[in-house]
Amino acid sequence: MKNTSRTSSITRRTLLKASAALAAFPAPLIAQTKPFAGITLHGASFQHRFFTLLQKYIPEFEESSGMKVDLQLSAFPVYNQQANLELSSGGSAYDFVNVTFILAARWVAAGLLTDLDEFTSDPNLTPAEWNPKDFVDGAQVPYRDAKGATYGYSWEGGAMLMGLSRMDLMEKKGLKIPKTFAELQQVCAEINGTDGVAGITSFQLHHWNLPPYIQGFGGNIFRKPPGDIMPTLNTPETIQGIEFYANLLKSAPRGVLTYTEDQARQSLLTGRANIFIHSSSWVTPILLSEESKVKDTSRVVRSPAGPVHDYPASNSQGLGIPKNAKNKKAAWEFIKWALSPDISMRLVKEHGHSSVCRRSIITSEAYRKLNTVNGQDLGAMYLEVLELPAKGENYMAYRTVKEFPIVGDVLNKAFEQVATGQLPAKDAMNAAQDQAIAALRRAGTQL
Amino acid sequence: MNMPSSRRATPGRLAAISATLLILLSPFLWLLQMSFKSNDQILQFPPPLIFTPTLENYISLWHSAFSASFVNSLLSASLSTSLALLFGVPAAYALSRWTGRGKHSLSFAILVTRMAPPIAFTIPFFLFYRWIGLLDTITGLVLVYTSFNLPLVIWMMQPFFDTIPVSLEEAALVDGARTRTVFTRIVLPMVTPGIAATAILCFLYAWNDFFFALILTRTNARTAPVAVVNFMNYEGWEWGKIAAGGSLVMAPVLIFSLAVRRYLVSGLTAGAVKG
Repeated sequence: MKNTSRTSSITRRTLLKASAALAAFPAPLIAQTKPFAGITLHGASFQHRFFTLLQKYIPEFEESSGMKVDLQLSAFPVYNQQANLELSSGGSAYDFVNVTFILAARWVAAGLLTDLDEFTSDPNLTPAEWNPKDFVDGAQVPYRDAKGATYGYSWEGGAMLMGLSRMDLMEKKGLKIPKTFAELQQVCAEINGTDGVAGITSFQLHHWNLPPYIQGFGGNIFRKPPGDIMPTLNTPETIQGIEFYANLLKSAPRGVLTYTEDQARQSLLTGRANIFIHSSSWVTPILLSEESKVKDTSRVVRSPAGPVHDYPASNSQGLGIPKNAKNKKAAWEFIKWALSPDISMRLVKEHGHSSVCRRSIITSEAYRKLNTVNGQDLGAMYLEVLELPAKGENYMAYRTVKEFPIVGDVLNKAFEQVATGQLPAKDAMNAAQDQAIAALRRAGTQL
Repeated sequence: MNMPSSRRATPGRLAAISATLLILLSPFLWLLQMSFKSNDQILQFPPPLIFTPTLENYISLWHSAFSASFVNSLLSASLSTSLALLFGVPAAYALSRWTGRGKHSLSFAILVTRMAPPIAFTIPFFLFYRWIGLLDTITGLVLVYTSFNLPLVIWMMQPFFDTIPVSLEEAALVDGARTRTVFTRIVLPMVTPGIAATAILCFLYAWNDFFFALILTRTNARTAPVAVVNFMNYEGWEWGKIAAGGSLVMAPVLIFSLAVRRYLVSGLTAGAVKG
């Protein structure tokens, strides 16, 4: 009895002591489970389906981490303008940002972003299963500096593919899917006008559509980007590429030079144009979209190869942390979560979102099943093209150097002069070369 | 009573007026008809002139963040217009009645802020606002618009005050009225057309501003013009919503202008004949 009473007394006392101790230090105990609880993360990006879908899952992240996420989404040009200003003026308003493909190189070179290797190399901050090497290498190229440090992880990839809407017409004429530039030219010319169908469609961003043709003939926009950014707009190879693309557009609908991407996609989806070569998400709707009137007669394939190179364009968008962000570790938690294999797979399975950049997801059975249409493995093609810039020469380097917008504008104008017959390609490109050099020098570029 | 021949509506004149109206109104009519079409119909070629109209674009705008942006625009434009008039009209009156040396230099100095393009001020405003925490606030926008509208108010209103004989005010003062009473009861009612015209121009400037709103706002104070641009998505432009948004953005200015139309014509032309 005595024993029992003593035991009971000690237990009560111990319990009281323990309760007091717990009451004295409740916050640190809770904080250990949710170290970033109470933080509001401020992030920004341009509007994209990825974020619209991600927003459905963000409450889960907020619940598990104790953080609040303030994600500001704006139009593409609006976001780029605002983010560029914020980062380049040393602002700390954002904890994480979209690293836009076309701005990636200049943001990385200017030191505006945080080196993410310091997070991925720390096992306490990044578990092994997150596996940074799982991201498709080609999609990661824009987010690395010259030494190989990583400043962003890609959440979206775009890989140039060719969509053909009227295979029935082509078969009737005995035409096969074009695999080379020469075959492409022939198919476009022969289909054009048949059954009211244009041979090819395109849109006004010539400095996106043109370079694969220029590179296909062995030319480039700069001599050897990113190191040597002397423009090469009047080389014989570049002129050949310009002439080829201008000829190709003779088989396009009237007004194609001012078409937007929407108009081009619409002309493909309604079967008014037979071929459209653009990023996969613009082309695959002929097979996948409800709007498509040509589902039964469509194919999506690799874009044709040039006589010298087979360089289909590709791009990616990444998530990164600004150099002056206030909550870097918390931001990394968000990026880790948003680009985790789990969320990526859920986006694929629950929403059919296919432009993810994790190799393990793209090569998974679930992804393949969802993205195989009419026997065509769209995922395999997407992955193959997305990988290319990381194999051998990074042929997309021209697109991410900070000088590209200036030279790209000159290229656009020159191409319009050629396509509308105002100037022969040689004259237009000689003038463009001089203009590009002068414009770069005016902007302070050492050539 | 016979109309003078120069005022008769001859077929030639009617045709000329119709053609002019068609040219002037066609962008507006095109935008309006687009706002009642689906994206699919908008992108059809050739564009269908006869179609089943849909309110879908307006309904989705109502349920989107655009409605908040619209309110932001209304707030920032009306508050900045009111503030600019509140400070600008008395300033213009004072300047009009001041006869001292340096009057013209001062008038010119006031206009200096209107001479430089807005981009010259944007970055300083951005950095300063970030420092004092006014980024992405309606207050911030109102202050910017007011600072740009104030010189306009002073410059527009001063000629109106110049046309009012000082003897009128002196007579009131002799009758025992206070200076403030003279200003509010006698002078102000006489310059109402000028105030209306100036208010419209101030409101238009603030309402139509894109550049300051783009740089100085994010999501909380985003205005309607920037919100319209937000329908230009990376994956495609939402043409129907852009058209509906554009039509809605025009509506308040149209309504406001119609409401003060009576004053507007006399206000805008007053300077030309009375100068």
